[in-house]
Amino acid sequence: MDLLAQVVANGVLLGGLYAVMALGLALVWGVLNIVNLAHGAFIMLGGYAAWHLYRLAGIDPFAGLPIVAIVMFAAGYAIQRGLLNLVVRAPMFNTLLITFGLEVVFTYCAQLAFSADFRTINPPYAGSNVALGPVTLPVARLAAFAVALALTVGMWLFLLHTRLGRAIRATAQNLVAARLYGVAPRHLYAVTFGLGVALAGMSGALYGTVSQVNPYIGATLTAKSFAISIIGGLDSPLGVIVGGLFLGIVESLTTLYVGPTYADVASFGILVLVLIVRPSGLLGRTA
Amino acid sequence: MSAPPAQRADAPQTPDKPQAPDKPPTWRRVAAIVVFAALAAVPWLGSDVLVQFGINALLLAVLAQAWNVIGGYAGYASFGNSVFYGLGAYGVGIAMVQWHLPFAVGLALGAAIAVVFALTLGWAVLRLRGHYFAIATLGVAQVMAAIVSNVELAGRNVGLVLPPLNDDRLFYWLALALLAAATLSVAWLTRSRFGFGLIAIRENEEGAAVMGVHTTLYKALAFAIAAFFSALAGGIHAYWITFLDPESAFDISLNVRMIIMAVFGGPGTVLGPIVGALSLSAISELLSSEVTNIAGLFFGVVVVAAVVLMPRGLADAVRGVRLHGWGYFARNVKAHRL
Amino acid sequence: MSDSASASAASPAAPLLEVRSATRRFAGLVAVDDVSFSLAPNEILGLIGPNGAGKTTLVSLVSGTLAPTSGEIVFEGRRIEGLPAFRRAHLGIGRTFQIMRPFPGLSVLDNVAVGALFGRGGGTRTGLAQAREEARACLDQVGMGAQAGQRADQLGGPGRKRLELAKALAMQPKLLLCDEVMAGLTHVEVDEVVDVIRQVRARGIAVLVIEHVIHAIKSLSDRLLVLHHGEKIADGPTDEVLRSDAVIEAYLGKRRA
Repeated sequence: MDLLAQVVANGVLLGGLYAVMALGLALVWGVLNIVNLAHGAFIMLGGYAAWHLYRLAGIDPFAGLPIVAIVMFAAGYAIQRGLLNLVVRAPMFNTLLITFGLEVVFTYCAQLAFSADFRTINPPYAGSNVALGPVTLPVARLAAFAVALALTVGMWLFLLHTRLGRAIRATAQNLVAARLYGVAPRHLYAVTFGLGVALAGMSGALYGTVSQVNPYIGATLTAKSFAISIIGGLDSPLGVIVGGLFLGIVESLTTLYVGPTYADVASFGILVLVLIVRPSGLLGRTA
Repeated sequence: MSAPPAQRADAPQTPDKPQAPDKPPTWRRVAAIVVFAALAAVPWLGSDVLVQFGINALLLAVLAQAWNVIGGYAGYASFGNSVFYGLGAYGVGIAMVQWHLPFAVGLALGAAIAVVFALTLGWAVLRLRGHYFAIATLGVAQVMAAIVSNVELAGRNVGLVLPPLNDDRLFYWLALALLAAATLSVAWLTRSRFGFGLIAIRENEEGAAVMGVHTTLYKALAFAIAAFFSALAGGIHAYWITFLDPESAFDISLNVRMIIMAVFGGPGTVLGPIVGALSLSAISELLSSEVTNIAGLFFGVVVVAAVVLMPRGLADAVRGVRLHGWGYFARNVKAHRL
Repeated sequence: MSDSASASAASPAAPLLEVRSATRRFAGLVAVDDVSFSLAPNEILGLIGPNGAGKTTLVSLVSGTLAPTSGEIVFEGRRIEGLPAFRRAHLGIGRTFQIMRPFPGLSVLDNVAVGALFGRGGGTRTGLAQAREEARACLDQVGMGAQAGQRADQLGGPGRKRLELAKALAMQPKLLLCDEVMAGLTHVEVDEVVDVIRQVRARGIAVLVIEHVIHAIKSLSDRLLVLHHGEKIADGPTDEVLRSDAVIEAYLGKRRA
């Protein structure tokens, strides 16, 4: 029983991290209708950014989150404004393809710049644990989970209660309506994408503290973010949290009871099943 | 909302000209035959390296052409055709290594499994639209790679080693023959009622259904055709390199390569995927002889540039530049920017 | 006056289409409520009613775009409410859409050729060349022969409407469902479309016309069917229906005493 509790706890911690990973993707997808296949690559780059901050300047990965956020936001803004805005009105397939291309570019650039070695961010507290009842929680993972949750809730509040947040949500409905908030569409699109990339980058930094970063993690993480967004349902901000937790727990349980190599089978299998049975997700409104 | 990637490809009738005949102009046929003959002559005239490059390029062209059927003509952008490629590879692998059957039987087995898989998967997945379909196929591609690495018969993670056959020329001609078969099939498609139906589905699926097109059946058939040729390509490739493992057989990056080749060359056209595959392979090969990783990077950059500047492919770009000069590219951007 | 010369006044014998107690619900909204009517083989039936009355929904139930929540649709004595749209097309039901559905990347000619290839007149043995010939004839019939080579997405509003009509005709239907083919047309264009529909009927095809252009529908229809809030409120010869209180009330509101 204790083992089960531990496994579920691990799953929850993982799930929180997954949720914030998927959040950026769901935001960009839901608002801009841009399916960003390079999302995982941004996570990867965020991980490398945090690793370098730690390695070169000794900045704790959690303390360095704001820096990563700003850098990634700027990058995302520039990419949307300078590149993606150029294909926004083309058929959907074009944005799929162009972000696919970006993913390839980023992966190879990372490989050239950082080599293919695995990197982990190991702050001094990385090895210590906290006991919570019957379960043992690694400090780093717990911290990552807490930050992830804070970011998710913060994003949610931002979208609901600030003028810019509401303008962003209005864009999802109607570009003209968004203009009524007094924000130019090009800027709005770029800000939204920037936010999505910033979230991805931050989740990458968090990921670097609990797992390994290398240039190739992008593709799988993109696919998982899709899984979460679809399972949870794009319409609902709560959906991403539910989806993330769901996936984290499923992977954790699968790893224990079936085998570690089956974890991915489980997550993607569920993705496909959800798409077939209920494309609007667990919490989304049925079309 | 109508079905996805509405790449405005060549319809059976090119609207800007007066009624075009059903058969392609003679010069295009002659050119195709000449090119085919030239390609067939490579093993005698070219170096070993060229032949090996050729095999890879030709098989990629087959994949691009197969994708063209479901993605270019029917308008359903599959990001998971690598699964069929892998099934074909494992069909040959298992048949030859575990059951000691001849290569031809292995090929047939792989193709049959792929077609059955396509029909089953298609039943579930072809009802999805646009990016949902793309993501579903992407998800399936990920699942398959993970599953196969767990199956005993497939040699698990370690893979299978096939009996060697050191005859590059034979493989080259096999690949060329397969490409010819795939291309002729696509050519037949453009002149058949079936192909017309696929294009109607791409342009407006509900409109097509209401006019009598059996959309479910047609989409499934298109998917099956794509699976068939992709599997054969996988089988040939597996026997050629004599080694099979899940990661390389179900290589997800194949998807981006086959799609970009088909799209770059011109989706929904007969020769577009071939042009795209051969030209991009050639350029990639030239670059990779300089720096290994640059080849991959190159693909990414080509994708990005092509989507922005020439979303309708190379053929359309050539025609557009001839008619409207370099302004063609600017017009594309202007038409699609926010 | 109504065009009853070629149509029999009553619809005896076997009706071409019979709709029996058709109902269609959409999560709380009843779009079509227990509607029954029949259509004779060579009749022109006008379908009128205020906006939102459920006319397009009713037509969708017949063409197969939607399935009825309850009730039966009988075509040539055969129950079809369970058949998908494409099979109904093969049986001989063609329709135009109010929100038009052209094939944007194809030429006007090829748009219509799809109908010739896959409709009741088509089949696995129909060749592309033959289909295009038939398509050309249909385009000529609606007066669009000159635009055959244009891309469908370059047509203007009236052109698109005629294209819809030509596409449906190319299917060689026995029953043609027209959904507001005259909306937004000039007086002259409306008269042209009325002529086309008359010619269609003269070839033995039954037509169900949804229209708001009252003078056109008056001159075309043998009978009128009136819907209001999803319910049938009148069904009979054109003149009678147009004079009935219920119909006037539906359009203009209650007469103040």
